[in-house]
Amino acid sequence: MTSSAVDPVRLAGERRRIFLALFSALAIALHALEFLLPSPVPWFRLGFANIFALLALFLYDGRAAWSVNMVRIVVASLFLGTFFSPRFFLSLSGGILATLAMTTSRKLGCEKIGPVGVSVLGACGHSVGQLLCAWWLIVRHDGVWFLLPPLLLIALVTGIINGFVADALLQRLRRHPPFEDIADGAHSDV
Amino acid sequence: MALRQIWARMTRLDRLIVVSVAFLCLLLFIGIGLSRPGETVEVYRDGELVFRAPLQEERTVPLEGSLGTTSLMIEGGTARIVDSPCPYKVCVGMGAIDHSGEIIACVPNRLLVRVVSQDESGKEPGYDLLSR
Repeated sequence: MTSSAVDPVRLAGERRRIFLALFSALAIALHALEFLLPSPVPWFRLGFANIFALLALFLYDGRAAWSVNMVRIVVASLFLGTFFSPRFFLSLSGGILATLAMTTSRKLGCEKIGPVGVSVLGACGHSVGQLLCAWWLIVRHDGVWFLLPPLLLIALVTGIINGFVADALLQRLRRHPPFEDIADGAHSDV
Repeated sequence: MALRQIWARMTRLDRLIVVSVAFLCLLLFIGIGLSRPGETVEVYRDGELVFRAPLQEERTVPLEGSLGTTSLMIEGGTARIVDSPCPYKVCVGMGAIDHSGEIIACVPNRLLVRVVSQDESGKEPGYDLLSR
């Protein structure tokens, strides 16, 4: 019974799995590439890898975004050799808060919120998550909160840029056959 | 032109989010700008005070950490780290500090530089009040 006439639910499930694996792999590659770029300001991250979490969130649902981001952070840290280092925990707490901000804003905003708004909130969540981790685990000093304004400003700019890249990609991807059937159902959030 | 297209792609809620985050940034920057400038710079290693000097004296200080020597430069009323043996040089990139409460942390070298104002400098800031 393994013919081309598979039932559509299973097909959608398989497609989802394959595309999420692809998104995660691309996100890991971008994450690693960004790590190699020299950064002029500490903690200045473009966060391009987050674009794939945005795609997963808008094409599928919140669970998809969580899996792309968490897989990316853990696997990329294994590649870069930063697993369980302070840098990993900064990255992890930033990632958790970013994904939390993105999935909640998507859930609450539904139709009214676009990729840019979700991306900006996610980037802000990332900054706050990193500072929270720095304040709680690494530096243990209230002075780290002085870094919040510049980090938020960077988050705003990179969040807008990533949001537009994700928006442009979404426009193209939704015309692609595997996503056509789920493009309408994407708004009925899980 | 491109900016107008970008603006048109955003939903109303998106715009509200962008504007409010920008406004929050502005407020925070103003808040920091208005806070008191500090007068003294203190350096801690593993939570112990190892160095203290007024911000007005221009000098370069070598600080011994667990990895090696980090140099702290005090110049023009601000303090910054100019060189450090740590791998990512985050502390160097953190720039100059001059406001009370601001810090530069060099986590790999276990150093914490902070600026304090006159009334809160010293190890036990509360004791003056108690002794009265």
